Amino acid sequence: MDQISAGLNITIFFCRQLDINQDKNRRAIEKELGPRVRFFPLPCSGRIEPLHLLRAFESGADMVYLIACPEGACRYREGNLRAKKRVQYAQKLIEEIGLEGARIELINKTAAMPANIGAIAKELLARDAKVSTSAVRSK
Amino acid sequence: MITAERKPLAEIKAMLAPYRKILVVGCGTCVAECASGGEKEVGLLASALRMDAQIEGRTIEAHEMTIDRQCVYEFIDKLTEAVGRYDVILSLGCGAGVQAVAEVFPKTPVVPALNTTFIGETKESGLWVENCRACGDCKLGYFAGVCPVTRCAKGLFNGPCGGSKNGACEVDPDSPCAWQLIVERLDSAGRSDLLEAIYPPADWSKQQGKGPRKIVREDQRSES
Repeated sequence: MDQISAGLNITIFFCRQLDINQDKNRRAIEKELGPRVRFFPLPCSGRIEPLHLLRAFESGADMVYLIACPEGACRYREGNLRAKKRVQYAQKLIEEIGLEGARIELINKTAAMPANIGAIAKELLARDAKVSTSAVRSK
Repeated sequence: MITAERKPLAEIKAMLAPYRKILVVGCGTCVAECASGGEKEVGLLASALRMDAQIEGRTIEAHEMTIDRQCVYEFIDKLTEAVGRYDVILSLGCGAGVQAVAEVFPKTPVVPALNTTFIGETKESGLWVENCRACGDCKLGYFAGVCPVTRCAKGLFNGPCGGSKNGACEVDPDSPCAWQLIVERLDSAGRSDLLEAIYPPADWSKQQGKGPRKIVREDQRSES
């Protein structure tokens, strides 16, 4: 079952460098799904902080994605490498409170993926749901 | 800088178990620099505590505040207005900060969220190393700015043990041999004559055995 059909709320942080038309390209999904999907553009994925990821869960997300540039292709050289470590740190933090670390996923864009952030998001949302509704939200 | 690390969440939760309204207080100085007790870490811990309570079906309030220093009254006083509304203060300060806050607010329980570890230096982003034991009898002037008491695993005062390999300590190969650094730096500064001196054992009575140490500076004290 895809993630939206499974009733999940999805938060997507992404590097703005991935899609210069990100503002326009994510509008359709935002219109269609409303608050079920929330997008947060970042100047670089290296701007992400573990606190952003925890706050997303506290605000009702069941699954959080961070979409970054391919490794070795960060405009700021190592932003996506830092992002990877911060995601790993945040995964440990949520595991401490009993949430699955897999609820946070770093996606490094590949050449096979579309250049449109909306299209990338659609691909992610169409994936099988690996987790159920978060215990933070459902209690 | 005083360094610290966050306690496991389970230990913090056990200390907070009797309380519902929690004031989570960070310190913007040393423990912020070592990424254990600054504003971001306060946010992370408070968020984790709130979500954890929600998952377990408990109701808590965890409010976040960070003051510039938890070890100085003038800064601690910024908590005065808020403290009365909470059952407990969860301090992300070092041991000195926790105790100073507890002294200012004796009616409110104060519990530590951190384990204070050592006096150290930020070597690079995300790496802190111990380099001072606060022995009270600093001899760095004779040792080219490298403390053999702290940075030599054997605490040797009069030359190397001879066990280092390629400049690394034989006890911990990840640490440079303090004595190799001392010899190299004294050589490059033209002060290898300092190596000829014999240094008596450290006087540890300046650090321990007399209860808590005090520094009194009359010129800094107020009259009242």
